[in-house]
Amino acid sequence: MMNSSRVRRPELVCPAGNPAMLKAAVEHGADAVYLGFKDATNARNFNGLNFDERSLAQAIELAHAHGCRVFLALNTYPQAEGWAHWTAAVDRAAALGVDALILADLGLLAHARERHPELRIHLSVQGSATNHEALAFYHERYGIERAVLPRVLSLEQVAQVVRQSPVAVEVFGFGGLCVMVEGRCALSAYATGQSPNCHGACSPAKFVRWDETPQGLEARLNGFLIDRYAPEEPAGYPTLCKGRFAVGGHTYYAIEEPTSLNTLELLPRLIEIGVAAIKIEGRQRSAAYVAQVTRVWREAIDAALAAPQDFSPHPQWLAALDRVSEGASHTLGAYSRPWK
Amino acid sequence: MMKDDRFVIPPALARIVSRLPQTPPAAVLAFALDRLLFPRLPLPELDALLEQPLRIEVSDLGLRLALTLTRRGFRPLPAHVAPRLTLRATTRDFLALLRREEDADTLFFQRRLALSGDTELGLLVKNTLDAIEIELPFLPRPR
Amino acid sequence: MNPLSFELVLAPIPYFWPRGRVLSFYEAIAEAPVDAVVLGETVCARRAELRLPDWIALGRDLAAAGKRVVLAGYALIESESHLKWVRRLVEQDEFAVEANEMGTVRLLAAAGRRDWIAGASLNVYNPHALAQLHEAGARRWLPPPELSRAALAHLLEGFTALEQGTIETELPVWGPLALAHSARCFTARHYRLQKDACEFRCLAHPAGLPLATREGADFLVLNGVQVLSARPWSLIDRLDEATALAQALRLVPAPEGTLERIAALDRARRLGEMPAPEPESCNGFWYGESGFAYRAPSSSPLAAR
Repeated sequence: MMNSSRVRRPELVCPAGNPAMLKAAVEHGADAVYLGFKDATNARNFNGLNFDERSLAQAIELAHAHGCRVFLALNTYPQAEGWAHWTAAVDRAAALGVDALILADLGLLAHARERHPELRIHLSVQGSATNHEALAFYHERYGIERAVLPRVLSLEQVAQVVRQSPVAVEVFGFGGLCVMVEGRCALSAYATGQSPNCHGACSPAKFVRWDETPQGLEARLNGFLIDRYAPEEPAGYPTLCKGRFAVGGHTYYAIEEPTSLNTLELLPRLIEIGVAAIKIEGRQRSAAYVAQVTRVWREAIDAALAAPQDFSPHPQWLAALDRVSEGASHTLGAYSRPWK
Repeated sequence: MMKDDRFVIPPALARIVSRLPQTPPAAVLAFALDRLLFPRLPLPELDALLEQPLRIEVSDLGLRLALTLTRRGFRPLPAHVAPRLTLRATTRDFLALLRREEDADTLFFQRRLALSGDTELGLLVKNTLDAIEIELPFLPRPR
Repeated sequence: MNPLSFELVLAPIPYFWPRGRVLSFYEAIAEAPVDAVVLGETVCARRAELRLPDWIALGRDLAAAGKRVVLAGYALIESESHLKWVRRLVEQDEFAVEANEMGTVRLLAAAGRRDWIAGASLNVYNPHALAQLHEAGARRWLPPPELSRAALAHLLEGFTALEQGTIETELPVWGPLALAHSARCFTARHYRLQKDACEFRCLAHPAGLPLATREGADFLVLNGVQVLSARPWSLIDRLDEATALAQALRLVPAPEGTLERIAALDRARRLGEMPAPEPESCNGFWYGESGFAYRAPSSSPLAAR
């Protein structure tokens, strides 16, 4: 049995793509929310999503009134031309009183450390740091206090990193699944010219076309056929990594199936190894999604903390999470490696 | 504040329907959206959507509603106008979306919500609807 | 056109080739007019036809043939055993090191080395980020694949304006683009094998596994845990533009055509003889467009003739 005094209570970090999602997260028990400005400074730069200065100020007020922290993602990589815009975003976020900035770019990390030494910094998953030496680099130079690990490590590898990390570690618990090392994928850019790293969006909507054809529903990304779905067949996001392609005479999900990450069953182990926070993906989803997912994870974390040895994911939790999943199924992703 | 609308709609609908006999369902929808949605829309962010022909298909009712958003409100369009964006779902799923009981991506993954045409407009519509607070007291709750 | 001045660098082999093939490839390279050779396995830690001492021995042979030798580290560190390997890489000081992830950077900086190369996967997109790596000891850097010519020019101007000293820029001019890196193996997946029991199937695919769309369009190449572009990246018909920004030009080895391109690049710098355009390649990123696109040179030397 775990000694409860030594158990670290992981923070539940939920997505807020707009004020309604933020409200849903706060109401259903998020310890923190993460959000971004309405522009390319964050990795969910989608039309109609995110916050301006006014709505961010209100969001912070609402969240703080309920004891919920607000992290601002500024996790794209500015180019020389956009530099002033990105640093202005850092300064604006600091002035508005966010609880932490989530950064990836070395230049921005240095800027934030120098101009806002009091401000808490988290290293974004886009920083691609997968080992404790990398985390030490960011900690020593930029004073990061937490890092979000890419979704490529196994549970034992995460444990190894946590044991030796100079900073707190946040991991993804649920949601859309990047199979590539985050921050290291130019597939979207190769097909469309726009990437998560620079434009804050993977497979941007303006390059996506859905067409009903006699062969089925076709998804195209800038003309490239990503997939063709039979009627009733579950569909996925039109990202290259989740398409069906022909390799060596076979047509299959050559990179990954449309599926979501769900680590609910690993929760006691995540708590035991000492992760500081569990992150829910999905700022591009909706208030309905945030409410459903936050409610389940709040209950699950509380249950796992109260009686870790008795913990098992309730079937209704899993059913609720599967309902909102891409491809309506889930995987433990890299944490447990069925493909290893 | 919605309470009054509930009782105003029938005579107003009747007026509109009588004025536009060829496209009554689209006109009804445009009227309802003007009352419910239009005042809450962040118009400055919706430039891309203005004057674009949209089609809402309610599959279980066999309805195909053509309409467009203008600076002054929603307008029905003749049914033959080619849409830039088409959204198709059942009555029940459309209502669940508007009530925020269902997530658009969930419905999409499960093939219960179909989107064709300009995907970027679709995303804008989806995110806009999700961002604003609307309450729909007069809509029947799907069972 | 006038002769051009640049250092010609050969990147590590991205594919998993049998030991014999690697050694005979580098025997040919020892005789070829490249100035520098970057050695090592960067893609997958399971690939061990050559181990670190083998690479070092090969490096000595190439150094004896007059090549400057660099040893490259993994792009993805997943475990303590990988880190141990990186520590050994950093501890040897016979050759400079190319860092492809930030843990390697930390170890190099902590060892006080000022001779290392910041690889393309370190995500340097602006002058301030470059200044950070320069301060940590990088002597040379490579831009990420999607950085356009305009953005690179702007970045370098910005770096100069920061007055933090100088850094060399190395720019890939030919070879497949490294588009994505994962912990999971797409080649093993193709063969329905577990990664840890992959039977080293990559050895049977010296140019990786081609991936096409369902409509038959060549698109990508699966190379173990890495995804490459099907079309090679080429600035071979843009050497004037490339050398205006970079001191060193890099080629990525491929099963076919590497030596021919080395020869062509060498003729360009000695004789000013410009290589012919390669319309089957891609250069979209150079223009800030979709990476797969190819734009013909506006004033092709062939057209000018």
